[in-house]
Amino acid sequence: MIALLNAINLALFCYYLFTNLTYLFLLVSAISANIMHQRRLASLKLEHVDRSPFTPPIALLVPARNEEGCVVESIRSLLGIDYPELEIVLINDGSTDGTLKQVQEHFKLRKANLLYVPEVRCAEVHALYISTVDRRLLVVDKKSGGNKADAVNAGLNATSSPYVCVVDADSLLEKDALLRMMGGVFSRPSQIAAVGGVVRVLNGSLVERGRLTTVQLPRRPLEILQVIEYLRAFLIGREGWALYNMMTVISGAFGVFRRDFIVEMGGYRHSAIGEDIDLVVRLHRLMRDQGVDYKIPFVPDPVCWTEVPADIRSLARQRARWHKGLYDVLLQNRDMLFRKRFGRLGWIAMPYQWLFELAAPIIELVGYASMLTAALLGVMSIHFFLQFLIFGYTFGSLISVGAVLQEEITYRRYNRKRDVALLIMFCFLEYFPYRQLQMFWRMQGLWQYWRGDVVWKQVRRVGFGETGSARAQSHEAEASTVVPQ
Amino acid sequence: MPALPLAIEVFFRWIDRLGPAGLVVRAIVASLWAIAALLVYICLRRLYRALFFRIRNARALVIRNKWPQIVSGVVPPRTWLFKYLDRKIVEQILLDTLDATSDDQAAPLISCLRSSGLLEMRIHESRTRKGWERREALTTLGRTRAPEAIAALAEALRDPNAENRLAAVRGLGQIGLPEAVDYLLTGAVEPDGTLTVPEIPLQNALLRCSRSKLSVLLPPLRRAQGKPREILARVVSELATPEIGDDLLMLACDPLPEVRASAARALASADPASAFPVLSVLSADPEWEVRLRAVAALSAIQDSRAIPALVRCLCDRNRSIRVRAAAALVKFEAELDYILHNVIATQDQYALQAMISELERSDIYEKLLVELRHSTTAHRANEMLVEALRTGAEKLKKNLRWQKLEEVVSQ
Repeated sequence: MIALLNAINLALFCYYLFTNLTYLFLLVSAISANIMHQRRLASLKLEHVDRSPFTPPIALLVPARNEEGCVVESIRSLLGIDYPELEIVLINDGSTDGTLKQVQEHFKLRKANLLYVPEVRCAEVHALYISTVDRRLLVVDKKSGGNKADAVNAGLNATSSPYVCVVDADSLLEKDALLRMMGGVFSRPSQIAAVGGVVRVLNGSLVERGRLTTVQLPRRPLEILQVIEYLRAFLIGREGWALYNMMTVISGAFGVFRRDFIVEMGGYRHSAIGEDIDLVVRLHRLMRDQGVDYKIPFVPDPVCWTEVPADIRSLARQRARWHKGLYDVLLQNRDMLFRKRFGRLGWIAMPYQWLFELAAPIIELVGYASMLTAALLGVMSIHFFLQFLIFGYTFGSLISVGAVLQEEITYRRYNRKRDVALLIMFCFLEYFPYRQLQMFWRMQGLWQYWRGDVVWKQVRRVGFGETGSARAQSHEAEASTVVPQ
Repeated sequence: MPALPLAIEVFFRWIDRLGPAGLVVRAIVASLWAIAALLVYICLRRLYRALFFRIRNARALVIRNKWPQIVSGVVPPRTWLFKYLDRKIVEQILLDTLDATSDDQAAPLISCLRSSGLLEMRIHESRTRKGWERREALTTLGRTRAPEAIAALAEALRDPNAENRLAAVRGLGQIGLPEAVDYLLTGAVEPDGTLTVPEIPLQNALLRCSRSKLSVLLPPLRRAQGKPREILARVVSELATPEIGDDLLMLACDPLPEVRASAARALASADPASAFPVLSVLSADPEWEVRLRAVAALSAIQDSRAIPALVRCLCDRNRSIRVRAAAALVKFEAELDYILHNVIATQDQYALQAMISELERSDIYEKLLVELRHSTTAHRANEMLVEALRTGAEKLKKNLRWQKLEEVVSQ
């Protein structure tokens, strides 16, 4: 028994050390990649991308379900984006509120018999509308398919642009986000299958007429903790993994994809719980199967701002769903593990996802239990137990402070001293009890998946409006940004 | 013994006594040190930036007050050239102003860059520096729009660093002078035809450089093979004028599909009499990209002789071509009856659907139906047309429901 406890504790120590060292490695890689990117940007003038006749068209696919509170602002903001060949396809996914009515009133929609080629599977489309105010806007009104994947598939059928960018209706894109994104594609257009951008927390910032006017930290601790999480996930995790072409997720709230590849894969998978991670993993698989030399890069400067859950119940649901989604995708693609044809994805990225993302809450729970037992039985000194906890706390805080540093040396969106001080302070508050709650929610997600409970649950969010004032609103569907820890 | 070293010694002795736990304590201490270092760095960086920007803004204000004298040389360059911050500010203001001015207004600014020695300094840096410092110099040289910078930028096309090569291409494009075309083609293309820089930035650079003198592209285009030929053809297609009609006809017979597609695009701006027969042939090309460009060109020409070719393209197996052909046909508003009869005669439901879709997009579908119903002539034919349009619209509605491929085939 004692030997077993000792062995478990040693294994846990190694596991924990390895997780943190991986993050440290990713942090160093991401900082160097970011500095290189900043220097590279100096020679890229966005107006060249904007004015070039060779810039490919993009369709922005905006799935919306019961988004009457923000849909008009969102479309207005998207129509104001700088990009020469832009089409906006809003997919009204069986909304039961006034989403379609709002859009109809503001953009003077006209029902039209337009060519719609059902190349990928989705629920029945009731009608297509075009705007008489701005011809770039196309609205697909469809029966609810029960998930975001279905809505995006309808959008894919309605457009023929070679690139598509999926954006959540409750998100805001910065004006030059697409130009920045495509600036990256320009360097290797035939090689790039998809590009990921940064998603940041909108809560607390001010929005006027669909434009983000002032960036500031939210006030609630729960939201600030999510800001740190997003910084860590995007500016360290994604950036680091993408450097080695092993990024397994592009946020569902903001990513550009080659349309032909998605259609070739049969569109978004209907039964996928986390459709964004599912799509990227399938894209890797497709490219590897075809033996194509490809890249799925991450561009850290185009920013999409999105709302995050402001109450603990919604956050719990979101995190449980993300973990379910991760489990679902990893299970579906388990054959990629340790296969030569999937290269470093099969040997490094996927095993990492299994061991250090999916199994993390279980291992963490086992760790707490075994260490506590060992300490109580006197097998392990209580001092050692406490030291181990302190080590976990300090190392974890180091990584979070590193994420704030990344933000500070590159983009500095949070300019106020108070905001930076708060961010740093929360880096030290993140590990108790937020981390344990996360562990619990992720365990819940696993349990729900095993039970077969994959139903989407309501997430309560604060909408953005003219003045940025808080306005509670319900969303049946939630943004599907999978943020790996 | 002083208190601090004593405390450190006691601390390390304690760690040594801990055994394996000592390792963890060491790790904690290291993490704390690293956190402290990061925090100090963040604070110092903020302080430094605040101070730097305060000083820079103050200097910029002083320089802006003397700006006309600086540009005209009344204030001698030696008063600011050898002060790092002042030099950076002057250069920044000069380049920003240059970015916002047209070529004819740029002369005094470029002259200031020359006479002050700033340009020479940057040329020197671009030749002697390495890595990102060279890239910075190259980017600046591009923004100067000075012809003297072309040679220095061209040298950088052979830089081992891909990012520096890219910066050189972009810089040459920004200068935008026809003299840079040869440098671009010799520097960015290996003798075997492979490119040392990405395709699109090279195309953009060539486009900007040859905008004022397209003829500089024609001799290299005639000689080029493979990828460079495709790139040159694409650029020519963007800038084509009726004067280069003969070259375009030659390109239209090229074995490379991409070159034929570019020729098709360019023929839109050629003399319609000579372009039309070639475009009709290209609209039946085996490669869909060529057909698509040919349809787009026929659409731009807007000659009613193109209608039969466009109707044929409306039955193309490629969706994009059908859509483009329909969009082109809808433009012939006066001849819509004739076109629709031809479309219906093809008995191709996809062609009809594409046509209806475009009529809807152009907001003339309902108007057309009303006109057809109330037309006094050819009553029977019009009825048939209305019926066909209605059936087509119904089919379009049916498409909104997803069906398995087998079902579609069985229908």
